[in-house]
Amino acid sequence: MSTAAAPAQLEVRGVTKRFGGVAAVDGVNFEIEKGDIVGIIGPNGAGKTTLLNCISGVYHLDGGDIKLNGASIAGMAPHRVARLGIGRTFQIVKPFGSMTARENVGIGALFGSAHARRGVKQAFALADEVLALVGLKAKADQPVSALTIPDRKRLEVARAVATRPQLLLLDEVMAGLNNVEIDEALEMVRSVHATGVTVLLIEHVMRVIVGVCRRAIVLDSGQVLAQGEPEVVLRDERVIQAYLGERYAKRLKSS
Amino acid sequence: MIGTATSNRRWRRAFLIAGAILAAYALLAPLTSLEAAQSANVPLLADKLWFRIATIIAMFIVLATAWNIIGGITGYAAFGNVAFFGIGAYTTGMLIAKAKWPFLLALPLAPIVAAAFAALVGLPLLRLRGHYFAVASLGVGVAVGELVQNIDYGGQPVFGGASGLFLPILRIDNRGLFFFYLMSAAAVFSIAVTWWVLRSQFGYGLIAIRENEEAASVLGVNTTAYKVAAFALAAALTGLAGGIFSQWNVFINQDNVFPIEYNVQMILMALLGGTGTVFGPAAGAVLLQLLIQFLGGTLPISFDIPFVSADARPIVAQVILGLLLVGVVIFVPRGVIDFFGGRTRLSMSYLRRSLRETSL
Repeated sequence: MSTAAAPAQLEVRGVTKRFGGVAAVDGVNFEIEKGDIVGIIGPNGAGKTTLLNCISGVYHLDGGDIKLNGASIAGMAPHRVARLGIGRTFQIVKPFGSMTARENVGIGALFGSAHARRGVKQAFALADEVLALVGLKAKADQPVSALTIPDRKRLEVARAVATRPQLLLLDEVMAGLNNVEIDEALEMVRSVHATGVTVLLIEHVMRVIVGVCRRAIVLDSGQVLAQGEPEVVLRDERVIQAYLGERYAKRLKSS
Repeated sequence: MIGTATSNRRWRRAFLIAGAILAAYALLAPLTSLEAAQSANVPLLADKLWFRIATIIAMFIVLATAWNIIGGITGYAAFGNVAFFGIGAYTTGMLIAKAKWPFLLALPLAPIVAAAFAALVGLPLLRLRGHYFAVASLGVGVAVGELVQNIDYGGQPVFGGASGLFLPILRIDNRGLFFFYLMSAAAVFSIAVTWWVLRSQFGYGLIAIRENEEAASVLGVNTTAYKVAAFALAAALTGLAGGIFSQWNVFINQDNVFPIEYNVQMILMALLGGTGTVFGPAAGAVLLQLLIQFLGGTLPISFDIPFVSADARPIVAQVILGLLLVGVVIFVPRGVIDFFGGRTRLSMSYLRRSLRETSL
C-alpha cells in the first residue's frame, strides 16, 4: 500500500499526558515535514507547552508515540532527544546565570547533536557564528545579567541553535516583546529557518503565525482543534470560539 | 565564573608568584635536615608540631578541593563527604592490618572503593536537589561511620569496632617527611584535577548543571551521568586523603576518620576561599586550618582571650570561628580568592554590594 516515501520528520501519534485526572494533552496527532515551519496556537492552558515538553523528553508520555525520522523517541531522556537533533527553548528563559552570552551558547555547541560533537575550542567558534546569526555578536562577552529581556530570548534561541538541531522547538520567544522587537525576532527565526532547520513554534502573537508559518495547529483543552494554512485556520469558527468565547464569536458572525 | 575577562592581570600574576614561592618554601624547607633547620631558626615546618599541622593542612586542601567538584562546580551541597574519607581510610587500613598488603599497594584501593560507593549512593541521592540532597548526604555520612564501627560477624567486630583499627607502622626513614610529601602530592593532584575539569567538556557540563539543570539536559548534557561522575570524582580524591591518613596516623576509629565537623569544615574552606575556582578551596583550607589551630592554642604563636578561662577556651574559639564564618558568607560570598585574583578590591562598596546580593 504505502509507497517508499520517507516518513515525516516528526510524527506525533495519539500523544497523551495527564496530571492527576486532567489530560493536559489528549490524543494529539500531527506530522511535520522536513524544512517546514509550523506554529502551534491555542488559548492559555491548551497544552502547548506540555506538548513541547513531551516531544523534548522533559515529560514521560502517558500514551501515544513520537517518532523522529520514523524512529520512536518516546520515553527517551531529554539529553538523548537533544543528541538526536531536537533543540528547544523555554518560555521562561533559563540562562546559565554565571556565564557570558558566549559561554551559554558554547554549552549548546559543546553538547547538542551527537553528529556535530566538537572540542571546546571549535564549540566556542561555533558559538560565535550562532551569536552573529541571532544578532548578539556585540554582546558575546557580557554576562547574562547585563542582557535585556529581548536579548535573553535571543540567547535562549541561540543556545538551542548551537546544538545543531534538525528540528527546533520554540516556546513563545516573542512573548513580552514590543512590535519592533517582534519584527527583529521574526527576522531571526527566518534566518535560523533559512539554515535548513525545521521549526515548530508556539506563539500567541497572531502576526507571527501569519507572518512566518506555513501551517498552524490549533490546540484547545489538550486536543487538536484545527490545522492547516494559518489564514484559513484563524478564520475557523471553532478557533475563534476557543479564543474569544462563544458570545463574541456569535457577535462576530452576525455583524 | 569561567573565562570572564580579568581586569587586573598583574595582580593575578603577583598572587600566583607569591603562592608559588610560599608553596615551594613549604615543600622544600623540610628537605634541609631537621636539626640544621632548627639550629638556624627556620620557623616553618622545622618543628615537629608545624610538620604535623602542615600535613593536616595539605589533607584539608584535598578535602576542600574535592568537595568543590561536587559542591562548588556542580552545585550539589554534599554534607557527607567525610564518609568517603572514612571509607578510604578503612579500605587502606583493613588491607594493611588484616590482609597484610603493602601500603603503596593498598593506597590505590582507597579512592577506587570510595568512588564506587559514591556512584552507588549517588544514583538515588543525586535525584534530590537543594537542602534535600544536603540532608540526605549528611545522613549517609553519619550512617557509614556508625556501620563501620558496629558491624559484627560471628561476634567479632569486622572493622575493629569501637576500639578502632591499629596499623603496623611503616618502616621507613623520615616517616613524617614522607607523609608530608605524599599528602602534599595529593593536594597538588586535586588542584590539577580541578584545573583540568574546569577546562574540559566535563566541567562545562557540570557548571551548566549548577546553573540550570533542566536547560543543561535539553542541550544534551547527560545530567545523571555527569552528577554521579562528579560525586565519584570528589569521593575518589577524598578517599585518597583518607587512605594516606590511615597509614600516617597508624590508628583509625570512628572518631578520627568519620568526624562530622570535617563535613562542615571542608565546605567552609571552599566557601571562604571561593567555590567553583581552582585555587579558592586550597586557599580557604590554609587560612581556616591555621585559624582553627590558632584559636585552639596549638600554634607556637598563641594569645590569651580576655575574660575567658582556659577551660572555656575551646568553646569560645568555636564561637569566634562561627561568627567569622557568618561574616564571610554574608560579606565575601565569592570567597577571598576574589581579592587575591585581583578581580576586585576589598572596599566598603564591595561589602555593601555583597550584603545586598546575599540578603535577597
